[in-house]
Amino acid sequence: MGKRLSTYGPFIPVLALYVIIFLVGKGVQGMWQVMAMLTFYCALGQAFNIFLGMTGYVDFGYVAFLGVGTYGMALSITYLAHQGMTGPAVIIIGFLLALIFPALLSMAVGAVALRLRGAYFAIATIGVNEGFRYLIEGAKIWNGSEGMIFTSELNQVLGRDTASGLSTFWADVYLFIIAALAALVTLHFMRSRIGYALTALREDEDAAKVMGINVTKYKIIAFITSACFAGLVGGTSWALKTPYVFPPEVFEIHYTIEAIIIVLLGGAGTLMGPVIGALIYGLSKYYLSIILPGFQLLIFAPIIIVIIIAFPDGVMGVVKQRLRGTSLARFIE
Amino acid sequence: MKKAGTLFKITTLFTFLGLFVFSSGAHAASKIVIGHPACLSGKYAKAGEQAVGGIKACVNWVNKVYGGVSLGGKKIPLVYKYYDCESKKEAVTSLIARLISSDRVNVVFAPYSSGLTLRGAPVAESRKMLYMDHGGANNKIFRQGFRYVVQTIGPATRYHEGTLDMIKKIDPSAKKVALAYEDSEFAKMVMFGAEVHAKKLGLNVVFKRTYPKGVTDLTPLLSAMKAARPDFVLGGGHFEDGQLFSRQMADLDIDVKALSLIAAATLPAFYEALGSLAEGVMGPSHWEYGVKYSEAEAKKVGLPWIGPSQDEFVALFKKAVGKNIIPDYHAAEAGAQVLAYVLAVEKSNSLNSDKVRVALGDLKFMSFYGGWDVDDTGMQVGHSMVDVQWQAAKRVIVWPEEAQTGKLCYPMPTFKEKAKGKLAVP
Repeated sequence: MGKRLSTYGPFIPVLALYVIIFLVGKGVQGMWQVMAMLTFYCALGQAFNIFLGMTGYVDFGYVAFLGVGTYGMALSITYLAHQGMTGPAVIIIGFLLALIFPALLSMAVGAVALRLRGAYFAIATIGVNEGFRYLIEGAKIWNGSEGMIFTSELNQVLGRDTASGLSTFWADVYLFIIAALAALVTLHFMRSRIGYALTALREDEDAAKVMGINVTKYKIIAFITSACFAGLVGGTSWALKTPYVFPPEVFEIHYTIEAIIIVLLGGAGTLMGPVIGALIYGLSKYYLSIILPGFQLLIFAPIIIVIIIAFPDGVMGVVKQRLRGTSLARFIE
Repeated sequence: MKKAGTLFKITTLFTFLGLFVFSSGAHAASKIVIGHPACLSGKYAKAGEQAVGGIKACVNWVNKVYGGVSLGGKKIPLVYKYYDCESKKEAVTSLIARLISSDRVNVVFAPYSSGLTLRGAPVAESRKMLYMDHGGANNKIFRQGFRYVVQTIGPATRYHEGTLDMIKKIDPSAKKVALAYEDSEFAKMVMFGAEVHAKKLGLNVVFKRTYPKGVTDLTPLLSAMKAARPDFVLGGGHFEDGQLFSRQMADLDIDVKALSLIAAATLPAFYEALGSLAEGVMGPSHWEYGVKYSEAEAKKVGLPWIGPSQDEFVALFKKAVGKNIIPDYHAAEAGAQVLAYVLAVEKSNSLNSDKVRVALGDLKFMSFYGGWDVDDTGMQVGHSMVDVQWQAAKRVIVWPEEAQTGKLCYPMPTFKEKAKGKLAVP
């Protein structure tokens, strides 16, 4: 029991935060969609942290995985509805495609880009989302630049009321589950051989190689895992919640930038960091847009700068340092 | 017994009071609130700022000039509540939920663009909230079965209908049309509508092709188009490709009787970039400063009129944004949406979204923005685009006839003539 607690103890506060977010959303009138937005940022941060946090590699093309995941779900709903198929099986197939598409793309990208390091890797990945977007538009794949709008197909597959419930409630619940799963997988990695190998390569890749660690293998594992979670986030938040896909919107680089900010704010490589980063990022943006509509970014940018200066290792980096040696330390990773 | 009688009277009184309060919720309203997740920053900030200015201008007109909204025998003021969604879909849903739950708005105006409009629609629909679209032109929005979405902006498929009607009327011999648009969701929707309408008018589409976004050389496409020998050309997508289109048509000496480009040709920067080469080039727009829509025009076509005159609207807009700028069509369509909502509330004598939605479906009117009428799906069918032509360095509204400020210069001068300084004067 004690060993299990020390292994999975850090998951408890993360799960507790998700439960609090869920309960606030359900209990306070008008807060569900706000909590849904925060959950999106949490899930995005958790998924991105698996690769950035554990390897130290910055993937600027990360949004492409969300994009192809969105297409996976959209294609399932659109084409299966046209084939006359109905019921939850369509959504399950959609989730499978939202896993398979980013897995394939990450294998292709990883096979080339993960041979590079540092800035070279970052530069190589910048083009992935734009390249994939132009491929879809130029080659007219999956309806090309016109994209897909599939609310009516979703209504046809699930019935109007269920589809409405899915878009406005259940998609957000799935997102909670995806975020929690991403945290659990991160913790599992941290506590296993994969995590040790990734920590070693993050600290000194050459030294890790000399020690006999197959760094490429572990980088690819982290890359594909992170991409698969991104695909699930895209398929849920951008397809089920918003039944349309336009290529410029799902391959927009600012989502990658947001993921980087969230992870760095909270603390890269920590379990709780992405949740804290998402809460700081999402809540400050939301309330500033209400208090100072149109001027919130002017206030928001200095806030981010101050936080980064005050907490160079992210908020959780500082918290971890402060709690070291205390009984609470086993709950913080 | 006496006590029981008094109790009965009190109970009856409270029952009637309760029934009155609950049955006439609309009558008890002290204000009518319009909610709007506006795009004040991010990629649609320019359009969003215009829309907010247009809404504020018309809300001001309704409250100060019109005297408020007539509801239950009273005049109720309009209140405009908006937040900045940063042109991002994540913020749209959370702000719409806040507007409905915390701010208790009576109607939600959608944010700019088809994508953001679609993002907010499921939330508005699930709360049975009227959701008015002033910036999403994609026709497919209205094929999704939404019940509470009503459009003010004209659908993308109708952008070039007026141009085709005009040329058909002026020159029935011009039968060959070329369509060359940017490969984007919006431009392809426009092209689809133009093709359908051209065929309906008995015209031959002799050339139809798209070009990629960010194109830097249109020579191959234009050379192929030249070989098809069209009488006139419709196309475009954005400002950059629009001016490239005109410049390279001039380079290749492709002279046609008329050239109409979406998005680019209506912008002042188009003439600044091309100079005299822009003479005679046309472009469709939802609204342009100078349109002749007025109370008299409304009477002529048998439509009721509401709202400020064009000049009043411009003055109110300038006051609302605090800048000396002329509003563009984003402001006009958002402002006209306020007027449509006011008329529908008065017509239904209710604030209930279902009743106002029915009233909007039956509504036909004219304002400074032009006509307004929606079909059963909520799609705008009553508003005609205006066609603008560059004539002697000025934008002249040439179509429709009830809005025109000048006659069309047709055929437009050849590019060689324009290079020598010839102006497009009818």
